Amino acid sequence: MSYTLIIAEVRRGVFEERNLDSAGIAALLGKEAVMLLPDGAYQTGNIADTIVKVKVGEEVFLNPLNLKNILEKVFTARGNPDVIIFTHSSFGMESAAYTAGAFGFPVVTDVSGYDKERGVFLKSYYSDKIFGEFKANGGPVVLSVRSGSFKEFAAEKTATRVEEIEGVAPVEGRTFVEYVEEEKADVDITKADFLLSVGRGIGNKDEIPAYEDLAGKLKAVLSGSRPVIDKMWLPKPRQVGTSGKTVKPKVYLAMGISGAFQHIAGMKDSECIIAVNKDTEAPIFQYAHFGIVADIHKVRDKLKEIMG
Amino acid sequence: MNILVFTKRVAATQEEELRIRDEGASVDLSKVPFKINDWDNYSIEEAVRIVEKTGGTVTAISIGDAESDEVLRRAIAMGAKDGFLVNSESVFHDPGVRSRLIQNFIQKENIPFDVIFTGVQSEDDQFGCVGGILGAVLGLPYSSMVIGIDAVEKDHMIIRRELEGGLQERIKITVPCVLSIQSGINEPRYVSIMGIRKASKVERKVFKAADYAAEAGPGIEVVQWAYPEKKGVATMLTGELDVVCGQLLGILKEKGVFQ
Ligand SMILES: Cc1cc2nc3c(=O)[nH]c(=O)nc-3n(C[C@H](O)[C@H](O)[C@H](O)COP(=O)(O)OP(=O)(O)OC[C@H]3O[C@@H](n4cnc5c(N)ncnc54)[C@H](O)[C@@H]3O)c2cc1C
Repeated sequence: MSYTLIIAEVRRGVFEERNLDSAGIAALLGKEAVMLLPDGAYQTGNIADTIVKVKVGEEVFLNPLNLKNILEKVFTARGNPDVIIFTHSSFGMESAAYTAGAFGFPVVTDVSGYDKERGVFLKSYYSDKIFGEFKANGGPVVLSVRSGSFKEFAAEKTATRVEEIEGVAPVEGRTFVEYVEEEKADVDITKADFLLSVGRGIGNKDEIPAYEDLAGKLKAVLSGSRPVIDKMWLPKPRQVGTSGKTVKPKVYLAMGISGAFQHIAGMKDSECIIAVNKDTEAPIFQYAHFGIVADIHKVRDKLKEIMG
Repeated sequence: MNILVFTKRVAATQEEELRIRDEGASVDLSKVPFKINDWDNYSIEEAVRIVEKTGGTVTAISIGDAESDEVLRRAIAMGAKDGFLVNSESVFHDPGVRSRLIQNFIQKENIPFDVIFTGVQSEDDQFGCVGGILGAVLGLPYSSMVIGIDAVEKDHMIIRRELEGGLQERIKITVPCVLSIQSGINEPRYVSIMGIRKASKVERKVFKAADYAAEAGPGIEVVQWAYPEKKGVATMLTGELDVVCGQLLGILKEKGVFQ
């Protein structure tokens, strides 16, 4: 019996919303959708035909080494699926690759589109400037799907069957110790009405004071893309994006940010997005309400000059 | 501790206009500058810092064309002892092919290691798979998104993995293992032109990728390259800088965030 296997992502008791994207592409694939989940009271909704609950805790399930052993059991019981779907997140990226390697299955990650007629999966290259249309030579194919890409296709099923399977003994090679929370923030960028967000395009750390000054004049709060935080030009709590904060200010003014999906996911619901970038083809212009193609430093200085 | 670090030379496309050629068959990178993959810069730095404390060596390995020697010289300038180029003029889009090539290379050449580092992903294809597949085919424990290495012992490491929204998890992983390093884990050292020149004097060994090719062919193939679907309806502000900036302030006023 052919089926699609969705590996659900859960974390600290929460069924992650991006699982809807996995359910969405499963709906497009059109086979029986079987969703694998660890033991626990998760709010899954009826987005799969069958839910298979594995009698293991979350931390065991979220470990790719254990997941491999769990999948072996599932495949023995049900046969191989046609497609195995992960979220494209910290968990999904890691486990999709490991699963593909462990079973010798082909893999395509960061999938944001599917053309059923041609049987091809769309995958971003060069930070969304180009997309590759990928075809698998045989299967089962392992996918990780970009959040926001397929959730509109997730359909409410009339009935979801729930099955339980026995757990696995946790491996010793890798074990969970504890969660570590982020450092305390001096300001909470999620509370700001107006964010001035700077990216790698600012060039170097010495430019930061001039943008702080601009933010001060505009009465905006300064935030940044990941590279700016990685380079320690701004503190971590000021990072916008999947591995930072999700923000929804009235105005998000992005300067020198290209618009990688991990960044976009953290700010796309802002009321008004204004992007300044010298590259006319920067993907961020696809999400902005207003765009300016210019050198950000010149725009910065001119704004300051006008404001006096 | 002996650490193998995989490093890749990638197209720096952030500020480039990319064009598709031959009716979708290829992407024209002939005018695009190349550089070290950003993530690898962090993983080389992390490896060098570890051996500075524990002893042992860092070996930088790159799969790629002859030009990839550039990233090996850079790694040596940062503190790697050796640089190996597994030379191939063709690009392998399937990360499974790359990982199995690495597996065969390590095993056939009998390269000793305690830990293997890769970057979380490469900037060009964003697959983020080589480390994970490699860990699995070598039968070793694996972790991606490594944002901190808190303790390095003979038989295990305590590391932190980055999750979403600023959260991290601390895990214990046994050695030998494969780790994919996340950007921001450290502050990579500055590499001077002088340093690279000095590194050029260290011999880099060249191997032929064809000698380590996997029996199985690629599991995936690119059918065609395509431009992104246009979603946006951004209103572009154009004209003289004064005018554009004036309009920008006008929008801010209209949105009520600026007086
Ligand atoms: C697991 C994972 C999680 C991640 N999480 C996040 C996250 O939470 N947040 C995040 O932001 N990223 C995240 N990233 C990184 C993301 O993939 C991109 O690498 C990053 O967003 C790029 O940042 P950027 O746009 O500032 O830099 P680049 O992509 O380098 O873009 C710089 C831009 O500046 C422009 N520019 C340069 N100079 C000028 C100038 N003088 N004037 C005008 N424009 C100029 C360029 O044209 C370019 O568009 C994550 C990646 C991974 C793998």
